[in-house]
Amino acid sequence: MAGASVKVAVRVRPFNSREIGKESKCIIQMSGNTTTILNPKQPKENKSFNFDFSYWSHTTPEDVNYASQMQVYRDIGEEMLLHAFEGYNVCIFAYGQTGAGKSYTMMGRQEKDQQGIIPLLCEDLFTKINDSNNDNSMSYSVEVSYMEIYCERVRDLLNPKNKGNLRVREHPLMGPYVEDLSKLAVTSYNDIQDLMDSGNKARTVAATNMNETSSRSHAVFNIIFTQKKHDMETDNTSEKVSKISLVDLAGSERADSTGAKGTRLKEGANINKSLTTLGKVISALAELKKKKVESFIPYRDSVLTWLLRENLGGNSRTAMVAALSPADINYDETLSTLRYADRAKQIRCNAVINEDPNNRLVRELKEEVARLKDLLYAQGLGDIIESECHSSSRTRALSSRAGSISNLHDRIFSPASEEAIERLKETEKIIAELNETWEEKLRRTEAIRMEREALLAEMGVAMREDGGTVGVFSPKKTPHLVNLNEDPLMSEFQFDMKSIRILGHFIKDEHCTFSSTTGPQGEGRRAPRHPWSPSTGPLLSESCWRNKAST
Amino acid sequence: MAATQQEARSCARTPKRTNMASFNKIESRNDPENDPFRSKYKARELLREIYCSAGLRAAKLGAVEYYLGVNHVDTEELPAGQEHLMNCMKLLERCRVSSLNVSLFIHVRNQLGILWAGRDETETAQGFLETAESIYQRYMKEDGSPPTDMTEYFAAEESLLTHQERIKRFELAYTHTMYYLAQVYKNLGQTERAATYCHTTLQRQLQLNQFTPMEWALNAATLSQYYITKGRYMEGRHCLSAATVISDLAGEVPSEAAAQENEAESERREHLRQKRAEIARCWIKYCLNLLQDAKKQLEDNIGELDTDRQEELKRARRREEEEEEKGRKSALLFGSEDTFDSIASIEEKVMCLFPLDFTEARSVFLVGQNHVTQAKDYFQMDGYVTDHIEILQDHSALFRSLAFFEEDLERRCKMHKRRVDMLEPICNDLNAQYYLMIRRQLMFELAETYNEMMDLKLALANRQADTQSLDNHTIKKFNHLCSASAKYFQMFLDSLCSPEGKFPERLEEEVLRPALVARFRVARLHSRFISTSPTVQLDNLNKSLENYKYVVQYCEANPEAGATVETELELSKEMAGLLPLKINRLKARMASNN
Repeated sequence: MAGASVKVAVRVRPFNSREIGKESKCIIQMSGNTTTILNPKQPKENKSFNFDFSYWSHTTPEDVNYASQMQVYRDIGEEMLLHAFEGYNVCIFAYGQTGAGKSYTMMGRQEKDQQGIIPLLCEDLFTKINDSNNDNSMSYSVEVSYMEIYCERVRDLLNPKNKGNLRVREHPLMGPYVEDLSKLAVTSYNDIQDLMDSGNKARTVAATNMNETSSRSHAVFNIIFTQKKHDMETDNTSEKVSKISLVDLAGSERADSTGAKGTRLKEGANINKSLTTLGKVISALAELKKKKVESFIPYRDSVLTWLLRENLGGNSRTAMVAALSPADINYDETLSTLRYADRAKQIRCNAVINEDPNNRLVRELKEEVARLKDLLYAQGLGDIIESECHSSSRTRALSSRAGSISNLHDRIFSPASEEAIERLKETEKIIAELNETWEEKLRRTEAIRMEREALLAEMGVAMREDGGTVGVFSPKKTPHLVNLNEDPLMSEFQFDMKSIRILGHFIKDEHCTFSSTTGPQGEGRRAPRHPWSPSTGPLLSESCWRNKAST
Repeated sequence: MAATQQEARSCARTPKRTNMASFNKIESRNDPENDPFRSKYKARELLREIYCSAGLRAAKLGAVEYYLGVNHVDTEELPAGQEHLMNCMKLLERCRVSSLNVSLFIHVRNQLGILWAGRDETETAQGFLETAESIYQRYMKEDGSPPTDMTEYFAAEESLLTHQERIKRFELAYTHTMYYLAQVYKNLGQTERAATYCHTTLQRQLQLNQFTPMEWALNAATLSQYYITKGRYMEGRHCLSAATVISDLAGEVPSEAAAQENEAESERREHLRQKRAEIARCWIKYCLNLLQDAKKQLEDNIGELDTDRQEELKRARRREEEEEEKGRKSALLFGSEDTFDSIASIEEKVMCLFPLDFTEARSVFLVGQNHVTQAKDYFQMDGYVTDHIEILQDHSALFRSLAFFEEDLERRCKMHKRRVDMLEPICNDLNAQYYLMIRRQLMFELAETYNEMMDLKLALANRQADTQSLDNHTIKKFNHLCSASAKYFQMFLDSLCSPEGKFPERLEEEVLRPALVARFRVARLHSRFISTSPTVQLDNLNKSLENYKYVVQYCEANPEAGATVETELELSKEMAGLLPLKINRLKARMASNN
């Protein structure tokens, strides 16, 4: 069963306002599981792809063909959750260009019938846990971690203090893991949502500080789910741990680790301009010839390989959802997404079984068959039992060699290498983590939460009083403006105060100015020349700016 | 000195083809003290003359068109880009190729190659690039003086380039031509040619000293993997030897102490160790493939050494050696003057012809094993489980190949025991959830290895005591190996079950053949247990029958499965028909004995 290929779904969203403004045409058609894309330049040229699911969400729920959030969840989320309870590791990859509706499918909106796969799955998870709480023999615990992979570097999104580049590793018993990645205990979906929110904020902050776009990074949210079963009679406790991974996959054309800008993952024909990509070309040549385990191709993107290995090499179930824009203006990118999704169908774990040729066995068996047949014809003459072992291997006459290679053993059987102290330490770390009680974990989670909040507050992100959801942005030490956007990934921090460019309808050439004055408490406030109002432009109301004169 | 004089003469003969840099270099040294700028003024005059000549003006205009074209291509305005690049081509058409414009001739074709490849018009791209290639070759043959770089058309005279710099830029442009051609041939499906052009690209980088050592080494090592899967071991070995030599140029691995003190050193340490370990892994594959291919040449139809064939190949060897020598001379070789010898000395350490006897096989094995040790030093179990195990699997495969050449059955058996010793503990300790696939591979290999050992034990016993029956100790040993083999096949089959322990009704494509083969072999193993107790015999025969029947029934229910296990199915059918006879006879005998 396991090792099954990846389940792939694609989903097309309605036009957004930009596309409507440009009078876009819809170039996506769906029929059953087939998705067809029309080339706007050559209308006769269309390409069709088959997926496990093709979701038509371009129209409104009134359309009979419309695929709702709930339907997507039922097809993909529910099955995955079921597998998690069975003890499998499950993974859902989301793929698609920024703005293609990836977040809507995965997260959705906080309204009735608008929630995406992740909230629905988490809610179901806790409902199931609570339902079975009557059963005293079962106990559950849930932990989460959140990380980002950018250019072969791994960042902990739940513990901004954990600044450095984390190492991805594998342990024979623990499986693949990220060293020092914080795992926080949670008890409800709210907890998960809060952590995901603040992780997203940390992602945005980091991306802005490093002048990167977060769409070039992969984000991995893990829910580690432990089921403990206590057998009253034998007093034995058995434990089943499964991991639910939700991976926001950057378009591979953007996550090019060589950093070559603008390199597109168009189909094969493109020529790589820079000699720094020579390795890629050679690898591809060697790959063409690659059969089984005959060659070793040094990895070019080891963290991504690790990630895929984690989710395809084990006893796991994997699904991928690709988000599509319907508009003709996005033809190239949408086609590339479809092709990527199409390739994902073929992703299988390449751990093939390499058999030894069994010619000798076949020959021996043929001999036996012949013997048994003779026997049958002879109506039971001769002894059946003893003949078998003796006759078969007498055929070869191999002479014993002179002992000219007596030292071979010493050279072959090299002594075991010394155990490094470093490795012992790492093992101890893992053991300590394993021995940590649930209460300790919750306490540690709380401590990290406090640290995280303090750090995020410094960076310009504030939590609500109750420490829950990230609410408004309230910077502390440096004067700055905050750009709020519905999509957390689009929110950015603006530190440069000299001039700010705002583009859009209703924005005047010199829209407003800010000045900093020192108040009685030594506190500065903004003083807009033109007061903001709905009639003059978009509301930037919460972009208040404080400047503590004392610091 | 001779060269300089020659250049001076050529300048005098064809002033239009001279250039500022060479002019300065040649003459300023000889300027009299009272007239220090004489050469400069002369040069200026010359330049003015050149400026007026149509050839340069065309080249200059062409260069502007070229830059505009590249600019448009960069902003993805391909039609505009194409137009400017073609304008450049038209301007150049009027000119003869000379040192003044040859660089532009190459550059513009490189760009057009990229442009057309991007439009899926690979043949058009190929045309431009191949023309660039022949222009370069002709120029180097007929002229060869350092050509003017395009940037010089617009540079002030004092910032003109040195000869060295001109050569460097010009050669780099041509290296790009080679690289683009490699990609074009790859896209056209001409992998062999593509590999040759990758090889040339690497060679040029090395020769012109335009490379980063570790990156270069890794690319060469990767190229070796192409060659070895093609069975071209001489080229493979050459790439690997060059990789080893060049990777050493990347410097010493910082000590652990140094790494702990600063992060940059720590990253460097990590980087160097990892890349070197990766190169070692490429070497392992070289040794392994060489041994395995040699084995294929030498084995008879049941996988044993065919001594007639061995003699035949040994006789043919001398001819091969001569051909190797010839091949070496004609093949593309890496190396600048200072690296050539060190590459050759690494090549000498391992053969590239098929090993034909144990001594030769062992020498290849030992090189492979050496690299296993190196690779494992970085890819340790704790931290790199998958990589570490892949290396162990290769190590095991090295032993398996070596065992083929070993004539002493006792020692052969010990080699297989070594395989068991390195794989068995890992298979049993690994987390079954995360490492399911790897464990399946290990189970299968262990089952096969135990089976092999069992056969060897029996062959040994038969040889020692030809006429007598087997002694108790041997029977015990034999049965132990037999049950160990069956156990691992069964474990493999169990790993296919659902969490509730149910065997799947339909087997996934990837495990279809392995699963049916495992059943078939379990069936065979059960019929081979040696026992004097008729009850035990009966029990084993029944188990055997059950497994043969499974194979037959599965293929009846899923006819498409039959094709993947043709021989096994045929035999299973026979055995499923015949075993009941054997069972009935045994039963009859048991009844009569009672």
